[in-house]
Amino acid sequence: MIISVMSKDRPGIIASITGAIFKLNGDVADLNQSVLCNYLSMILSVSFPENVNKEDLIAAISHIETECRFEVSIKEISPEEEKVQPPEETYIMTVQGPNRGGLVHGISQFCYDYNINILDLVTTLKDDQYTMALQLDLKNCTVSLKQIQEALEEYSKQSGQNVMMQHSDIFQVTNEVTFH
Amino acid sequence: MLRSDQIIATVEMIQKENLDVRTVTMGINLLDCRGESVQSTCENIKKRINTLAGNFVPTCDAISRKYGIPVVNKRISVTPIAFVGAGFKRDGFISIAKSLDEAATDIGIDILGGFSAQLEKGMTATDREFIAALPEAIAETDKICASVNIATTQKGINMDALAMMGTTIKELAERTADSGGFGAAKFVVFCNQPGDNPFMAGAIHGLEEADAVLNVGVSGPGVIARSLERLIDNHPENGTLQLDELAEEIKQTTFRVTRCGELIGRAVSKSLGIEFGVVDLSLAPTPTIGDSVGEIFKILGVDAVGAPGSTAILAMLNDAVKKGGIFASKTVGGLSGAFIPVMEDAVLAEAVGNGSLCIEKLEAMTCVCSVGLDMVAIPGSVDSDTISAIIADEMALGMVNSKTTAARLIPVPGKEAGEHVSFGGLFGASPIIEVKNAGQSGRFISWGGRIPAPIHSFKN
Repeated sequence: MIISVMSKDRPGIIASITGAIFKLNGDVADLNQSVLCNYLSMILSVSFPENVNKEDLIAAISHIETECRFEVSIKEISPEEEKVQPPEETYIMTVQGPNRGGLVHGISQFCYDYNINILDLVTTLKDDQYTMALQLDLKNCTVSLKQIQEALEEYSKQSGQNVMMQHSDIFQVTNEVTFH
Repeated sequence: MLRSDQIIATVEMIQKENLDVRTVTMGINLLDCRGESVQSTCENIKKRINTLAGNFVPTCDAISRKYGIPVVNKRISVTPIAFVGAGFKRDGFISIAKSLDEAATDIGIDILGGFSAQLEKGMTATDREFIAALPEAIAETDKICASVNIATTQKGINMDALAMMGTTIKELAERTADSGGFGAAKFVVFCNQPGDNPFMAGAIHGLEEADAVLNVGVSGPGVIARSLERLIDNHPENGTLQLDELAEEIKQTTFRVTRCGELIGRAVSKSLGIEFGVVDLSLAPTPTIGDSVGEIFKILGVDAVGAPGSTAILAMLNDAVKKGGIFASKTVGGLSGAFIPVMEDAVLAEAVGNGSLCIEKLEAMTCVCSVGLDMVAIPGSVDSDTISAIIADEMALGMVNSKTTAARLIPVPGKEAGEHVSFGGLFGASPIIEVKNAGQSGRFISWGGRIPAPIHSFKN
């Protein structure tokens, strides 16, 4: 099951949600959470015994005593869907430039135009400079790497943003001690 | 995912600070290419290079594109040719040089090194033929670099061979007088020459090596310079930054630079199915502004390169580069240290021009860094014995200190100290340096024989 939870941030949210899962003999395989503007969003991948269904879980979460409401959505997925192959080659794209509207949309539309999947996206705004770091999967990209680099150069010129894309191995070897 | 500040730091290193892989050099063994005649040997050599390195340049370019890091030079080093051509005469060696040049052109590389001999103890009849062939072989080819190893800590200095080097270099420069004596820039004399150095002009594929290996030379003085500037500018407590912190910054930056080189080298090696050799962690400048070793001296506190303190700075720099690189790479080799090639470094060349850097200070600095008197343009009027004697001093430094030293001197025909010479491209340009006391060393060079190995070489 994939569970998504959104709530105003406070201490104890993860303890409460995973407590409800634990009572139903659920096993948390993966959890990702982030806090933005004092709101927490969390996504979990959990496996349950066969006799537990979506309604049982919603009931268990609704019984949690909390001062702020959890917005929960749950998706039951097949075992095949769970088996996600990690991408073989990931690339890191960085976009830097003065802040203005439409920046995230611009670069994400660029990726979509070439069927590039965005695996992760982090943005920071500092001194009116907007920086985006995207982790990309180019597996199903419709054109060659050379053509993408050329298209990015053009995008960089037209948008006035400084755009770079490099293989993620470069970032790993320069920032980690272990050589993969 | 990695932290975004780590990502941005790496991006800056590549984009703004001239990070590149300076050279990927394929070492190729040619010993078994020996045929019954010069002609069959030449054919075997060309065939071997084509077979092993036919896809070398496109493979490097593809890997470079994949990782987004430029691989500046793709080069080949071969078994020292004096071994391959044992028994051949002068003309035979010239033919081999021309065949190597053709092979280099065929596979699309710019330089091939290994037109070389190892003469540190004695010279064979073949070695003498090889030396006689050297000026014409290098002057008549475009892409061939030559080197001789004339001294080692174990064997001492071969002064008979060394006496011949002054005349060889002068002849090489004179044969290429039209281009300012450029031929001499393709010839280097070594003490303790490594067999796995990927940098030219002194790259060879040593006799101790496997049939083919890939060695990588990483560089990045620009990356080091910018990271030091950032540390100095952003240091929170003004006036409290000390040299050990600066050394630490150099070490950490070198770690990153070396990692990139190793990654690219191993990818090329895997793709070509050729064994990975070593990463050479050298700080090699290029004439490009912002890619200078000389600039680092100024950042680290001397206002003129060559001012007192310059040698100490270089010692610290060289050591920090080695420390950072050795932990980053699985296999380190070659020269591994800072280079100070005058013509190839705009700031060093400027220091020669304004008189702050003299040949004596350069010699002192080579005691604590890699290589030696590298790419130093001297007046064409300096006599051959003086050139040999300058090389002898440099060889003595290497021999006694158990390190590699080298001399690549260019006596520029028809020009005197203060005049300017330019070779263009990576070979750079500089004013001609003054050589004091020229003509005073003839009696010393005429002795011949050998300077015995130092006492500390007897370790058995």
